[in-house]
Amino acid sequence: MAPSYNINWTLFVFSTFLLLIASSPTVTADGLCNQNVKRTVDLSTHLAKITVDILLSNRGGSAVQSFTWAVEPDLAPHLAYIGASVWGDAEEADATLGLAQTTIHGQRGQFYEVQLPFSMEAGAKLRVKVEMVFSHVLKPFPTHITQAERQLVVFQGNHYLYSPYPTLSQNTHVRLASKAVESYTKLGHPIKYNEAIQYGPFRDVAPFSEDAMEIHYENNTPFLAISSMTRTMEVSHWGNIAVEESIDLRHTGALLKGPFSRYEYQMQPDSGLSAVNSFKTILPASAQDVYYRDEIGNISTSRLRVLVDSVQMQVKPRFPLFGGWKTDYIIGYKLPSYEHLYTRRDQYALKMRLVDHVFVDQVIDSLTVKIILPEGARNIRVDTPYPIDRMPDQLHYTYLDTFGRPVLVATKTNMVEQHIQDVVVHYTFNKLWMLQEPLLLIGAFYILFIAVIIYRSVISKGMRVSIKVHQGHSVHCDISTSQHVPHCVMNACDKIPD
Amino acid sequence: MTQRKRDLGGGGGGGGGGLRGWGAPPSGWLSLLSFAILLLAWLVAFSSRLFAVIRFESIIHEFDPWFNYRATRYLTENGFYHFLNWFDERAWYPLGRIVGGTVFPGLMVTAGLIHHVLNALHVTVHIRDVCVFLAPVFSGLTSVATFLLTRELWNQSAGLLAACLIAIAPGYTQRSVAGSYDNEGVAIFALQLTYFLWVRSVKTGSVFWSVCCSLSYFYMVSAWGGYVFIVNLVPLHVLVLLLMGRHSGRLYVAYSVFYVVGLVLSLQVPFVGFQPVRSSEHMAAAGVFALLQAYAFVHYLRDRLGLTPREFLALFLLCVPLAAVAGTAALVLLTYGGYIAPWSGRFYSLWDTGYAAVHIPLIASVAEHQTPTWWPFFFNLHVLLCTFPAGLWFCLKDINDERVFVALYAVSAAYFAAVMSRLILTLTPVVCVLSAVAFSNVFERYLADENPRNGNNAAITENKDSKRSSGGGRSGKLRKQHVASSSEAGERPGRGPTEAQEKEEEEGGPGIHLRAAVCLTMLFLLALFAVHCTTVTSTAYSHPSVVLTTRGSRGDIDVIDDYREAYYWLRQNTAERARVMAWWDYGYQIAGMADRTTIVDNNTWNNSHIALVGKAMASNESAAYGIMRSLDVDYVLVIFGGVLGQGDDISKFLWMVRIAEGEHPGDVRERDYLNARGEYRVDAGGTRTMFDSLVYKMCYHRFGELQLSARQPAGFDRARGAVIGEKDISFKHLEEAFTSEHWLVRIYRVKKPDNREPLENRLRVHED
Repeated sequence: MAPSYNINWTLFVFSTFLLLIASSPTVTADGLCNQNVKRTVDLSTHLAKITVDILLSNRGGSAVQSFTWAVEPDLAPHLAYIGASVWGDAEEADATLGLAQTTIHGQRGQFYEVQLPFSMEAGAKLRVKVEMVFSHVLKPFPTHITQAERQLVVFQGNHYLYSPYPTLSQNTHVRLASKAVESYTKLGHPIKYNEAIQYGPFRDVAPFSEDAMEIHYENNTPFLAISSMTRTMEVSHWGNIAVEESIDLRHTGALLKGPFSRYEYQMQPDSGLSAVNSFKTILPASAQDVYYRDEIGNISTSRLRVLVDSVQMQVKPRFPLFGGWKTDYIIGYKLPSYEHLYTRRDQYALKMRLVDHVFVDQVIDSLTVKIILPEGARNIRVDTPYPIDRMPDQLHYTYLDTFGRPVLVATKTNMVEQHIQDVVVHYTFNKLWMLQEPLLLIGAFYILFIAVIIYRSVISKGMRVSIKVHQGHSVHCDISTSQHVPHCVMNACDKIPD
Repeated sequence: MTQRKRDLGGGGGGGGGGLRGWGAPPSGWLSLLSFAILLLAWLVAFSSRLFAVIRFESIIHEFDPWFNYRATRYLTENGFYHFLNWFDERAWYPLGRIVGGTVFPGLMVTAGLIHHVLNALHVTVHIRDVCVFLAPVFSGLTSVATFLLTRELWNQSAGLLAACLIAIAPGYTQRSVAGSYDNEGVAIFALQLTYFLWVRSVKTGSVFWSVCCSLSYFYMVSAWGGYVFIVNLVPLHVLVLLLMGRHSGRLYVAYSVFYVVGLVLSLQVPFVGFQPVRSSEHMAAAGVFALLQAYAFVHYLRDRLGLTPREFLALFLLCVPLAAVAGTAALVLLTYGGYIAPWSGRFYSLWDTGYAAVHIPLIASVAEHQTPTWWPFFFNLHVLLCTFPAGLWFCLKDINDERVFVALYAVSAAYFAAVMSRLILTLTPVVCVLSAVAFSNVFERYLADENPRNGNNAAITENKDSKRSSGGGRSGKLRKQHVASSSEAGERPGRGPTEAQEKEEEEGGPGIHLRAAVCLTMLFLLALFAVHCTTVTSTAYSHPSVVLTTRGSRGDIDVIDDYREAYYWLRQNTAERARVMAWWDYGYQIAGMADRTTIVDNNTWNNSHIALVGKAMASNESAAYGIMRSLDVDYVLVIFGGVLGQGDDISKFLWMVRIAEGEHPGDVRERDYLNARGEYRVDAGGTRTMFDSLVYKMCYHRFGELQLSARQPAGFDRARGAVIGEKDISFKHLEEAFTSEHWLVRIYRVKKPDNREPLENRLRVHED
């Protein structure tokens, strides 16, 4: 009882505070309210995907250009992706909205200012859809399980929509991974059917309301996470782009306790349900020369299938991954550059995926992207689809390089499938540089041959002496080995007509 | 006829420059041909060793190469001086291993240097690929070195044939396929090069060639323990030449320089250290050096004092035996006093084939140290085995200093190969050299054109002129001229055809049909040899042994990758400093692939440590637990082939028992593992000690429940074709940590002791 009272009290203080600073341009809270909220919390995988469908209404006196979106303080550090779009019958339907992170004084959590595509007049209503993906929020409980046990996880969230605006009516639909639910909070008598729980409707919820929702249920879906990944794309103007991804994989589910029995894993179908045996990676359709290896060589358990619109790789790590186990591997392939490299005179634009598919519902804790441009590329400019941390550029030396290829390095943490988007790199490159490598080779061989010719003609000639043997007869002898001279002379004597 | 031969001899002799003195350059195309043949031999040597890379991948094979690879990586990552000072705390736990001082660094330094140079040129090659392809590249170099050696011994055409033979001979291929990154890969090249340079220096008596020979010897010393072969064969050659009365200034210069420079250089290799002056294996070289000095001194006295032959003989008979006796006495005294190490056990096992089996089971347990039967010889040498005595005979028939050497080389290498199967490797080069001599000799005789050729160069015309002009004394003049011209072409006297051959050639030689028949037969033999080599290389020697394959039901190849599966599991999912106990065979692989600390490995320097592990493997669980606790073991690894039908730790278990028994005769007895009839059984006929042993329990844990196919009962061991005797296996101190897909590798975790000792029995409750 007491905590909720506290929250409401702080909310009250805050809302008055909010009214006081309403003139501030960052907060456009006045007048907006969430008229109807449909929230879907998808917990069927190892990610928590929360999709919120809001009917926003402007009850204030003036038009608004943007609204503020809030994320609960407990969940905010795990937020991997957020995206907003407008639903409506206008021609701007499904338009993606621009988001900018902002702060609200005195409130915990993470806030975004969502720009609307048009100004929202007083009294107008707008349907907005916000999609959020959280990683590592499903906590295995118990934290250690044996091979035969099933994996149970706990989700801790909010019964209400965390919003700076009052909410008139809201529903929450929770999708689970299985029917087996240990416990769930029962605020407002939720309805549980099959693999779902329906909360609500809750009416007239104050801004920034929080009420702990806790669901403890069975979830044997692969709890795979890529703890770190380095993706290198090397552009060659001779026709291909080499992509190499080095991936550290970890099973983030409940840790395996006690022995791993191969017998049980092979013979009993319900043994090791939460273990990951293999997964599918979808590579671009034009990927060629695919390799899949690790520190000690090729991983022979993988299978490659070439489909019409993609190359599908059945990635099977060397051993099944149980909770807490990890492995790493390197996958690489080549792409033809005509599909990704655009050019006009000496202007080039490389359009590649910043990060590509590894497995369904992937989560990448830390990504490093390296783009290696050809030697001689300059005026480099990068357009990224979302903010990404640029590191200082590096130089890379490989075959026949003299002054190094520029390498763009960037990092980003906590990425999910929604981040599979294109990055565009613009640069200028003088086509004459293409001749550098063949010329280098030609030059090297030229020098080699010249050296041999010089050796043959100058050095071995220098070793010869002329010895006068008889009137008018002289003989050339090689003095590089002393034994030759007497024979040489003797031989010459034989030739002299008697 | 003779002219043709002379051309061949002259082609590469002076780099083609020899015959040019006469004006027209007829040797150009010959040196081009020689170059092309050598290049092709190199290419063939390289590419015929790539079966494993093409079928599997670029991977390091077997056991020892994994250590070499790991050491090379350490070298490239930390630099040469760190490598020399490397103390590997991850091997031989808790003793550790001073790697820098217990390894022949030649191989690693070679690979590291190549890697360094390539990377400095921005050729970004991974060190693994350098290591994998090092041996094939060096086989090309070996065939060039063999060419040079054979050319010194016989002539250019024999040299080219020898280069081609060694390029594909299975005896050499077995140790130098791609991925077989072992010392022998570079050492055979160093061996051949040293021998070539030795022959060269004996022939020329030049200090330059002797120093080159010493440098090459230094490389050999730094690369392989087989350098002892050189350091004994060369003095033997000198000694035999002395006994044959073939002493010369050339020999004196060659050996003195070689011995002194070679000795000083060989002392620089940390692993060899002071052995060249302090071990019995090297004393023959020192003795011969002293003898040579004494011999030369006596000769010096003769010249200086102007002794008559009778006086000289007396002096000689006085001094030389005296020197020999004094040397032997000094040797015995020094050995007795402990200044010179006595012969090692491995050395004795070379003379007495039964020695190792009795005294050093560790050496005897290795298959390649066994005495070979006839088939490895045939398998590895094929037709060359039959032709090389003929080559030897040709050499002996027309003996000179360097042919004495090759004869000694052939005889000693043949002996050692007959004692230890892995030494077929050192026999192969000399077999190729002598077979090439034999083939080349036969071809020269039978392939020659019957009609004298119409000269297309000035040399022949000129020669004919001189023949005509010489008239009656034709033969003598011709001989003289031949010597002259061939010497100018870079040959030494004695290499050219002999008087007998020449006589025969002048008489016309054998008939055309005989010639055709002989040549075709020889060609057929060579063709058979080539086919045999390819087949053997492809089927027997191109297997990484880390990866297994089976044929699937549809004829497709199934890769069984259990070793790497388990090793990689260890690498990824155990603590970084975890200690893994396994039989020593797998030590290098665990260190290389799993990157974990091992208790014993293939270095086998400490017999008692291995025996302790053997004892743990052979004891029952609680006794083994005591040993494992004392060794801080976290994981135990066994190889189990019962599912696949492979050889495994059960197959080599008796060796573990024997080695353990050698050190702990009170605790482990071989007869306890054999049943009343002396049989070694895993089925119901086995003994209790066997069933209780750690290896048995770890291999067969839960195997009793596994039914592999409908026709076989549960617990049927495919490797031994029997149902196991004890199916109910449970552990108290261990737990299964990982088992690979086909059960080939099984890893057990050693549990930490409980906080409280659990009671064996229930508490006795007083019932009042």
